[in-house]
Amino acid sequence: MLTAAAAAAALTLGTAGLTGASTALAAPRPAHAKAGATKSNEIPPKAKVNLSETGSTLLYPLFQLWAAAYHKHYPNITITPQGTGSGTGISDASSGTVNIGASDAYLSPTVFAQYPGIENIALAISAQMINYNVKGVPASVHLKLDGGVLAGIYEGHITNWDAPQVRALNPGVKLPNEKIVALHRSDSSGDTFLFSSYLSDTNPSGWGKTIGYGTSISFPAIPNALAEEGNGGMVTGCAATPGCIAYIGISYLAKTEAAHLGEAMLQNRDGFFHLPNAATITAEAAAAYSQTPPDEALSLVDDTAKAGYPIINYEYAIIPPKQPNGTDAKAVKAFLYWAIDPTGGSSPAFLDAVNFQPLPASIAQLSAAQIAKIKG
Amino acid sequence: MSELQNRPPTSPAPGLQPAFVDLGSQANQEPPAAGGGALDLYGRPSWGRRAANAVGWGACVLAVVLIGAPLFWVVYGVVARAVPHWHWSVITTPTSAVGGGLANEIVGTLLITAGVVVLAGTVGICSGVYLSEYAKGRTGALLRSGSEVLAGVPSIVLGYVGYIALVIGAHWQFSLAAALVTLSVLTVPYIAKTTESALRQVPTSYREGAEALGMSQVRTMTRITLKAAVPGVTTGLLIAIAISVGETAPLLYTAGFSDSMPSLSLTHSPVGYLTYAVWTFYNQPSVTFQQLSYDAALVLVVLVAALVCLSRAIVARSQRYAERA
Amino acid sequence: MALAARHPLEAEPPRGWAAWLPAAVRRAARDGSWARYLTGAAALLPVLALAAVLAVLAAKAWPAMKVNGTGFLGRSTWQPGSTYAAAVRTDGVLHPAGSEYGALALIVGTLASSGLAVVFAVPLSVGAALAVVEKLPRRASYVVGMFLELLAGIPSVVFGLWGITSFGPALARDVYPVVAKHMPDIAVLRFLRGDTGYGEGLLTAGLVLAVMIVPIVAATTRDLLRQVPALAKEGAAALGMNDWEIACKVSVPWVRSGIIGAAVLGLARALGETMAVAMVSGSLLGTMPLNLYAKMGTVASTIVQQLDGAFSDGTGFEVRTLAELALVLAVITLLTNVAARLLVRKVSTVALPVGRGV
Repeated sequence: MLTAAAAAAALTLGTAGLTGASTALAAPRPAHAKAGATKSNEIPPKAKVNLSETGSTLLYPLFQLWAAAYHKHYPNITITPQGTGSGTGISDASSGTVNIGASDAYLSPTVFAQYPGIENIALAISAQMINYNVKGVPASVHLKLDGGVLAGIYEGHITNWDAPQVRALNPGVKLPNEKIVALHRSDSSGDTFLFSSYLSDTNPSGWGKTIGYGTSISFPAIPNALAEEGNGGMVTGCAATPGCIAYIGISYLAKTEAAHLGEAMLQNRDGFFHLPNAATITAEAAAAYSQTPPDEALSLVDDTAKAGYPIINYEYAIIPPKQPNGTDAKAVKAFLYWAIDPTGGSSPAFLDAVNFQPLPASIAQLSAAQIAKIKG
Repeated sequence: MSELQNRPPTSPAPGLQPAFVDLGSQANQEPPAAGGGALDLYGRPSWGRRAANAVGWGACVLAVVLIGAPLFWVVYGVVARAVPHWHWSVITTPTSAVGGGLANEIVGTLLITAGVVVLAGTVGICSGVYLSEYAKGRTGALLRSGSEVLAGVPSIVLGYVGYIALVIGAHWQFSLAAALVTLSVLTVPYIAKTTESALRQVPTSYREGAEALGMSQVRTMTRITLKAAVPGVTTGLLIAIAISVGETAPLLYTAGFSDSMPSLSLTHSPVGYLTYAVWTFYNQPSVTFQQLSYDAALVLVVLVAALVCLSRAIVARSQRYAERA
Repeated sequence: MALAARHPLEAEPPRGWAAWLPAAVRRAARDGSWARYLTGAAALLPVLALAAVLAVLAAKAWPAMKVNGTGFLGRSTWQPGSTYAAAVRTDGVLHPAGSEYGALALIVGTLASSGLAVVFAVPLSVGAALAVVEKLPRRASYVVGMFLELLAGIPSVVFGLWGITSFGPALARDVYPVVAKHMPDIAVLRFLRGDTGYGEGLLTAGLVLAVMIVPIVAATTRDLLRQVPALAKEGAAALGMNDWEIACKVSVPWVRSGIIGAAVLGLARALGETMAVAMVSGSLLGTMPLNLYAKMGTVASTIVQQLDGAFSDGTGFEVRTLAELALVLAVITLLTNVAARLLVRKVSTVALPVGRGV
């Protein structure tokens, strides 16, 4: 895996915008080059280390790939990934019971204040899809939805797929008179954070005022609501429920396509409808690079970009204020440096499998600065 | 006075007439009405009562069947989903990030169970010994009811307290020690109760004979009384094993989870266990993990069946060799 | 000093390291009373553990109890508040703005699912126990006993897995629509009509719990029925009663309060059950179930599902509210257990001397 990554990176140099820190990689590397021997800070300690990672189900498929690849190359390092929800990732990292927490949501000011030294380190850029299971709408047609309609659905004002608000956005599409079943996450979730952020930004006086955003919010108790656990549960639940609408992380695109769920085009701040893909995600993210603070706690949802898809985010590794011991800290640092390395964990071989986008050089620098502060 | 004497003799009140049984007239009477009455022509219970008898016992036997049916359904459901895709490497390979097997969970469950037997077994047996041999009326009653109240505390409440007090408060993190302490608190009441009742059933003549021979109380306890109570004590330990194998809620928040074989360090090292695989892997979108979830359920059912057979064998053996005092 | 420290019967002064031990310890070691102290300490541990559990819960829950107030048991909301806005202080306790927690829907869910479990399990268990004690041959009762032990030993996550993969969907496909369609539209029975869902909900949880508590109710009832004195039953047979009437009019009334105690024991077990309910109940927070098949949440399933994410509320208020929930659950199960023990104990003090010595 790492060798393939090195070869792929050799062919696609330049897309990630390498900074001075990685000029050693500027020259194309031969395919048989020893993978992993690229940077000294990516080499973990020689001792046997077991690291635990828990949190976001959106980041989980990527973490599974990373853990397997890293273990293959450094068999003394075993990383146990778990997909338990961003809330658990933040929670376990705050209480120090896990080495790496994963979250789609950055940390709140209260958490930063209560646990000084806790960090959220951006690893990649991901996005969230809105999927639906509506009969009669072919896979080639992507329904257009916006924040107002979504808020109306989740608040219970819009109950059927052929409601006038939905038809107004989708002229020419034959919508059935089917009840909309609104799926939401039952666990404390970063996807809920992203979805509710989008609804709050697009309905500042409605949803933004009454319900707001967070990893755990009180969804309105409407008759046709269903709760599912994890992104995996959202996929299987939506596939089994005709008329459903669900917010699912983009790392599950292959699964939603296999389950024949439709994917919606969302309206961005400038009024254009887009699907989430490499171009639209990168366009939307570009607006935020210069605004990202050193602690990388920034919402990327609904920024101003004509060609941008509105629901995108940094994927964060939440690092506890103090690792259990020095060896663990060194291993965590080595792993994270490898993860943000465009020839390592952030190579297309890994990111394309989950439809994520790599961090640009400027943000990767901020992440590297935060990784350097990890202590044990 | 004269009036009383002059009163004519009155016949006794009608109800006090001597009962005059006229067998002849009874034999010629109509037989009692069939069905609603108690007996029929031939003195058997009426058909109504016989029907009630048949229906009642039929319903009871149906109840027995309805109790067995879910058991078979559960075992069939687990076996039918796990066995077709079973391969023995599930037992030998640890879980990895993308699948693997259940080796580390099985070792973790066995390790936790062994630890609970040692820790809770020691405390429970000593507690049972105290309650049956040494405790006097009120202290004994107080300690016993305290133990029973502890047995009634739900396992998730103990898991919460273990998480807050041990994992986070005492900075043990997810660890074997936190899991062992929490599960021991859960199982000690059961072991103490079975030990106490087993010791009480040992005939007093054993103890008296030992005292007559001049053995000290401690020696009597270990050499004679406990030995005679071994089947009962073993039943208690088997209950403890069944609880450690099957509990999830307390372990979720004390043992954590790990993909590697459990290290023997007591703190700072999470341990994987079988029930976690059943609880978490079934709703992963990967078929490999869902299959592992069924495999873990199968291993659990097999372990429980083995425990039940073992406990029955121990009871049968002890009854064969038991002395009746 | 030296004289007073020595036991009058000590022939010679203690040698070596034993001299450093205090006299009381030496005495205890000699006459075997160390065993009493050691085992006494062990017997004290459960009581101390209970006290520690209640103390930790109370200490953790007290700030939340102050803020949530007495309305906690009367409200149905579960609103964590604006975790990303500035936290506020009420009564000196830090919590997110707009947070509001109420346990009513959870308590109702807990009592309803456990109540349903008892309603389904008790008739089955009493009937099965009657059959095992009175009618079935010895072999069959041995086998039924093994079935009960197996049922009791199967972990609750396996029951939950069965519930969501086979039992729930089968019920939702075949049983619920039939029941819901044929229910008349009268006031109380309206709760049994309506949308029957996909198999996760109140009724499914109640049925799975019933399967789980059958072993304890059936085993207790069986042991109670075995204690009915043969003389009473033979007397009834002599009067001409048939087997069923003996069972109904003699055996069961004899142990009536014991059966109620067994039912309450089963209720206590069902109240504390966590994993199976978490998997089949649908995990709804914050609203009452609308009909019998609707999703709902229980106190135990809420604690197990929300605790791992609770620290993401940086103020720690959600963790404290979960402690309050745990305390509520502990109190409910405690009271139920005490009631059960009192009822089951009564039957062993039946006053009639009939049967003794016969």
